[in-house]
Formats: sequence, structure tokens, C-alpha cells
Amino acid sequence: MGDLQKEQLYYVQWLASQYELFGKLHRRVLEAYPDPREIFQVSKERWEELLPEKQAGLLWKRCQAESMAAMQEQYEKLREQGISFVARGQEEYPRRLNDIPDPPLGLYYKGGLPDGDSLAVAVIGSRDCSEYGSYVARHLGCCLGEQGISVISGMARGIDGISQQAALEAGGDSFGVLGCGVDVCYPQSNQRLYQTLMGHGGILSEYPPGTQPIARNFPPRNRIVSGLATAVVVVEAALKSGTSITVSMALEQGREVYAVPGRITDRLSDGCNRLIKQGAAVYTDPEGFLEELRETYFLQSVSPTKKKAKKGKEPDLREDLLSLWKQLEHTPKTVEEILHGLEASISVQDCTIKLMELVLSGHAKQVSSGHFCKA
Amino acid sequence: MYSTILSGALLGIHASMVQVEVDATSGLPSMSMVGSLGSEVRESRERVMAALKNAGIDIPPKHVTVNLSPADLRKEGTAYDLPIAIGMLEALGFFPEGSAKGILFLGELGLNGEIRAVRGVLPIVREAAAIGISECIVPEVNAAEGAVIPGIRVQGAKDLEQVMVFLLAKEKERESILPVKKVSVEGLFRQGITQSGNDFSEVKGQETAKRGAKIAAAGFHNLLMLGPPGAGKSMIAKRIPGIMPPLTLEESLEVTAIYSVAGQLGDRALMTQRPFQSPHHTISSPALTGGGVIPRPGIISLSHRGVLFLDELPEFQRASLDSMRQPMEDKQVQITRTGGNLIYPSDFMLVCAMNPCPCGYFPDRNRCRCTEPQIKRYAGHVSGPILDRIDLCVELQAVGVESLQKEACGESSEEMRKQVEKARKIQMERFQGTAYRFNGDIQAADMDRFCYLGEAEKRCMKKLYEEMGLSARSYHRIRKVARTIADLQGEDRIRTEHLLEAAMYRPAQEVWKT
Repeated sequence: MGDLQKEQLYYVQWLASQYELFGKLHRRVLEAYPDPREIFQVSKERWEELLPEKQAGLLWKRCQAESMAAMQEQYEKLREQGISFVARGQEEYPRRLNDIPDPPLGLYYKGGLPDGDSLAVAVIGSRDCSEYGSYVARHLGCCLGEQGISVISGMARGIDGISQQAALEAGGDSFGVLGCGVDVCYPQSNQRLYQTLMGHGGILSEYPPGTQPIARNFPPRNRIVSGLATAVVVVEAALKSGTSITVSMALEQGREVYAVPGRITDRLSDGCNRLIKQGAAVYTDPEGFLEELRETYFLQSVSPTKKKAKKGKEPDLREDLLSLWKQLEHTPKTVEEILHGLEASISVQDCTIKLMELVLSGHAKQVSSGHFCKA
Repeated sequence: MYSTILSGALLGIHASMVQVEVDATSGLPSMSMVGSLGSEVRESRERVMAALKNAGIDIPPKHVTVNLSPADLRKEGTAYDLPIAIGMLEALGFFPEGSAKGILFLGELGLNGEIRAVRGVLPIVREAAAIGISECIVPEVNAAEGAVIPGIRVQGAKDLEQVMVFLLAKEKERESILPVKKVSVEGLFRQGITQSGNDFSEVKGQETAKRGAKIAAAGFHNLLMLGPPGAGKSMIAKRIPGIMPPLTLEESLEVTAIYSVAGQLGDRALMTQRPFQSPHHTISSPALTGGGVIPRPGIISLSHRGVLFLDELPEFQRASLDSMRQPMEDKQVQITRTGGNLIYPSDFMLVCAMNPCPCGYFPDRNRCRCTEPQIKRYAGHVSGPILDRIDLCVELQAVGVESLQKEACGESSEEMRKQVEKARKIQMERFQGTAYRFNGDIQAADMDRFCYLGEAEKRCMKKLYEEMGLSARSYHRIRKVARTIADLQGEDRIRTEHLLEAAMYRPAQEVWKT
């Protein structure tokens, strides 16, 4: 498409805001008229040839009503709200999106856009994740953040939000791809993350501002999540989940897919275990993962992570606390389960006191009144 | 001719004396009743006339006026049937004047002349004894509850004929016609203790929940139990009254009076066990707090000095739960009517149970399929102000087959009660001369006085406060509960381990975070 003139940008933005054209129709219009300015001279009959009847009528009517000045005004209004627009063909348009099968016509964004040359990893998974999943997501997000590798995700509840939050906290940046307008924070509970992302990364969406989070918008946005990333890590997914859509898009786009293995009895790990069975790469620790990434993408050596993984290393604790700590897992256990696992028999009272000591020293986490897990 | 008979009226769980005056003169035959009467009392006329006729008494055609004095006190209930009938008989000269002098009468009449049970015998008899009345005749069914009051002769009567014979008899023969009911209060208490059937040793597993229940019972702390269906939440709740110290006589009389007023005493003479009330979640707020056209004590008053168990807490209507706030704070319910205020005591221990999420299995993600918003919405049904009044939260888990098959397990109710009693004794000594009774009552202002923390403990509390993001409220709650844990161990000072254990049971958990 080459370099776009400013004037053309107004037209593309206008076209991109036509909600009825989402799916294949955007592309069909642009293929027929590479210069979007022309579409305003198109006759009604030509529209009908190009599009289904309903959309054709609508578009023709809208084209008649639009004026260059109005489009410019609309564009400037977005800028005033802090929303930018990048069209396909512009220099800033994320390069990786150019080679996916169905690239979006343009992207609305707040904050920044991912850099096309540096590594980016998509971390995806279940909204209602387990403690195990949230631990892995946090750990991975943190390591990626420290390495300066962007985390791409959907800013959803659960794995998405946790990994992005961890990356930001570690000083990295992250990009959230929304299934609604970039001015709509969905879910509301991630309001803080939404605000932080604007300064450290960005919020992206192909949908025009003001679009509400409706279910059918979410599967298409997943192609952008995987499209923006060099590799996709699936942290936790049940057999039937939205994550599987992202995975199939990623494979279609030729992205490397990593799955975090889980216990075969955990329903939330079924999806990941199946991916591994089908040949997905296995994610076991951030170091190994980063090493593989580097080899695959011929990047200069990454500096070793600042925070060594605690894995396998016993914390420096009193003997009785240590034996209790060894009972803990990343899956929450009840006090009774921990009691039964202990060799020495101690009272519930002692057990709870010691568990709370571990919680205070940061070695354990109280998930709910009676459930504890490793911190 | 004119006659006056003693009777009594209920005011909440207290009583006041009523004079039933009857005047019979010649004139157009009629019977009129005055004295601020409720509808049951007005209907009394029909019952009395029929009962007298069926008892074989021929009423001469006279102009009869009945007045219940004091005339500005609202009279409710059916207990005036008997005194009105006796008053008429005396006014019409069926027995010598003065035969019924100094005797208090209570009882509902059947049309066949039989005397039926009434509500509130205990408070009325207690009031009568207090003002020096020495004798009373009450329905036979209610005689036992009146008889627990010392210093007054309580006689139970079956029917009107029996009372007539009694009044016509000479002073000496009277005892043989209607014997004075004798009740051994000590015997009743002894019986009460051995009667309790449910024992904590029957609860398998759930060690933390049992420990939590013990702490709650020792300090009269309100308790919340979270757990999947079938984990034994109700089972534990039912056993809590059994590990609380037995009722004292004074407490027992309070409780009995409430049950008597509510008409729920049945044939029991005295409530010797701590009440346990478990209302269904569809309960309305008047049923919970008390009220009605004729005010009666609600469930929270029936739980006085005992346990109120709310199973499936999120299912309760918010309005009904919120109506408990004031009573929980004041430990009494005030029911205001144009006629005046009624006060019912309501000092109960609140035990609630709920599932952690709509399906009940959270945080077991293998079984729980609830989404986070669903869980939050579910927890959001629970009234916040009620949660604020809960000191301890325990979690139960689905019981495995191993623990089901285990034979004897854990402490028995007997052992637990002994520990609780010890802790209660320490509290009684501590709170002598104050308005408090238990650690659960301590207000924030008196926290430093009763829940003193040393330097090390303060450091621990500070760390807890920061690490767990406690609120001021939960900070105080942990101190209160730690005080009870220390009392259970017979320790004078709160130590860090007490604080740590108390912190584990703190109710502000992620489940509630909105």
C-alpha cells in the first residue's frame, strides 16, 4: 500500500470504524479499492456487487453522508482523547502483523505499539486459573519483564492479567489487546493494570473506540495477540476454552507454541497436556524457555535473570518450619492435609501457628481461611 | 354484686398484675367487657358463657359488666378466660365472697369447661411472687413452669369444675383437691446435662473447624463456617451449645421466660439446655427479630444465651439479616408500638454457614467451575454489617473416606466443655465490675485494658497488619480472639502464637474482597 498520506489515513480510519465490515469484508473493500478515497465515488450498484445486500446499502448511505471535513474532525477527536490510530501500510504498523493471514485494517491504541524487531511473548491462559497457574504466570511475567521482553496478552482476568501485571512490576512493558474499544476497560477489575499499561506498553484494539465488550469480538482479537508475539506460552487451559482459539491462530501464523505441563488430574491443565501430546514445546522454567527463544531467533545472549528461580532450593528456615514448608505445594492444601502429610504428629494449633509464621516470613500464602500454598 | 380476681398481663418478658372486676346487677340480661381488650380477650365472653353452661352451672339472667384493670393497659391473649369465669361465679354468689382472695388465676377455657395451656405463665408467676402473692391456679400443663419460682404455691387445674370444688372447700381440704406442684430445679438441671445427645467426637476430621468452634464457644465469638455441601457444617453447629458451659439458674429463668412468652415451652418446666435455633433462610425480618400484631419474641430472642445458626447465609434476605444489626449490638430487641415499648433480650452467639461459591467446591479448581465474578456475586449476597460482626472463620473440606472410617477421633464434647468452662471462669474474673461478660463483647476502646500486648506481640501485630492488609476492625478482632486462645490455655498474657493462630481464623478473606 506504500506510504499513506495523512488524508488517506482519515479514510482508512473511517473505514476501520465501520463495525459491519469486520471479518472478511474490510479486506474485500480494500482489495478492490487500494486507495480508500475512491470508495466515496463508488456507485450503489458496485457496492452491491462487492458486499452483501444489507451492508452494501448501509455503506452506500454512509458514504453519501460523510464528508472529508467530518472524517478529519472524527480523527482529531480521537487524538484529543489520547487514542491513536495506525493503519496497515504505515511505518509504525506492527511488522509482525503484516505476515499473519488476516491482518487488521488498522489498530486503535493508547500508549505505545510493540516494537517490530524485538522479542515479544504472548502469555495466555484460563480466566479462572488455579493457584498453580497464577504462580507460573507471575513467575514467567516477572522474568520476561526483567529481560525486557514484552508480554502480549488480552488483559483478561486470571492468567492474562497476572502475567502482564508481573511484567510491569518487574520493570518491563506489556501490551494488552482488547476485544472492545481501547477506551473501555474490560474487565473493570483490571482498572489498575489498564492505567499502568498506558505508560508501560500499550492498549490495542482493532475495534473503534466505544465498542462494548461483546462475546463475538473476542475470538478475532486472539489472532492479534498471537500475531504480535514471537512465541505463545499457554499457562493453563481446560479442554474447551478460548485459549484453544488463540493456539490454533498462533499455529496458523507460524508462531512457536509452548505449553506449561500440569498434573493429569487437574482439569485446568488438560488443555496444556493435550497440546504437549500434539507436539507443542514444553515450558518448564523461564531460563530454559528464554534460552530456546534466543536460539530460535538468533538473538544475542540474554543476561541471566536477576532473581534466580527458587526452584529446588530449600529456604533457610527452622527445622520444624522447613518440614512444614516441604508439605506445601503450589496447589492449595488444607491444614488437615498438611497435618496428615507430616511425619511427626503435631496439634492443629501448632500447625496453624507455624503455617502463619511461614506466611509472615513470605514462604507460604494463605489462599483462604483453611487453605495454604507455597508463596 | 361485685367481685375482683387477680390475674396478670405480659409486657415483653416481664409481667404486670391485672384485676378482673365483675359486677352483676339486675336489669336487661347482658354481658359487656371493657378495659382495652384485644380481640382474643373480647372473644372470651363466648368461651366463658359456654364453658360455664357446660360445666353444669346455670347462669341467672343478670346485667354483667367485666372490667380488666388497669383499664389503659392493652390486654392480649387467652389467659383471662379463667379469672373472668371465676369473677362471674363470685359476683353471682356461687361461692362465698373472699374464697378466691389472694389467688392469681390464669387459663384459657374450652367450651366444655376444660382449662387449656396459655403463654407466659413463668413471667407472670415470677412477678406475682415478687409482689407477695402467695398462691396461684394455672392450667395443669403450665404448672411445672410456674413451680420453678420459689415462694409461691402453684396449683395446676384441669377444668372449671375442679376449681369450683376447690373454692367451695374449706382451707384445710383444698390441698388435697389441687395439690401444689413441686419441681426440683437441681434435678431438672442434672437431667438436662445428661440429655444432650450430640457429641463432638462424632464429627470426623475437620480439626480446624472443631478448634475454631471451641475458641468461639469459649469467648462467645460469632463464627462463620465455609465449606462444600455435606462437609458437616450443620453437624458442628448443632454441637456448639453442648460445649458451652451449662446455663446458670438465672440464665435459665431468662430463657424459660422467653420460651414461655413465645408459647414454645411445651411441657418443659425449665429450659436447662442452651437454645439452638436454626431458621430456614426464607425467614422474614419480624420472624427473626420479633414482632407481629400481638408482639412475640423472634428467633433471635429464642436463641438468647444460646446459638443462632444461619445455614446458607447468602440465601437469607438482606433485609432480614440487616434487621439483626441493632439487636446484636444492644443484645436486646426493642419493639415499639403505640401502646409502648417491649424489650426482648437477644444475647446469642451467631454461627453462620455457607458454601464458598455457588457450587461449593472453591478453591478446588478441579471441581469448582464457578467464575470469579460468580463467586464474588455469591459472597456479595451476604450482608456486610453481619460479616463485620463475625470474629472467626473456619473452613471445612469434603470428608474423605479415610476419616469416615476412622473410629474414635478428636475430643469429646465433655472434654471441650471443661476447657471452655475454664476459659469462661477466667473471663468472669477479668470482667468483674464491668458490663462485659465475654471476650467477644470487648469494644475497641477497652482493647488495651483487656487485651494487652507486649513489645514482641506488638511487632507481630504490626507485621500481620502490613502483610495481610488488615483493617482496623480485623486488627481488633484478632486481638479479641487471641485473648480467648490465651484464656483457653490458662495464660495471663497474649503471646505471639496466640495472635498468629487468631490471625488464621480472621474472616476477611479473598472470598469477600469485592
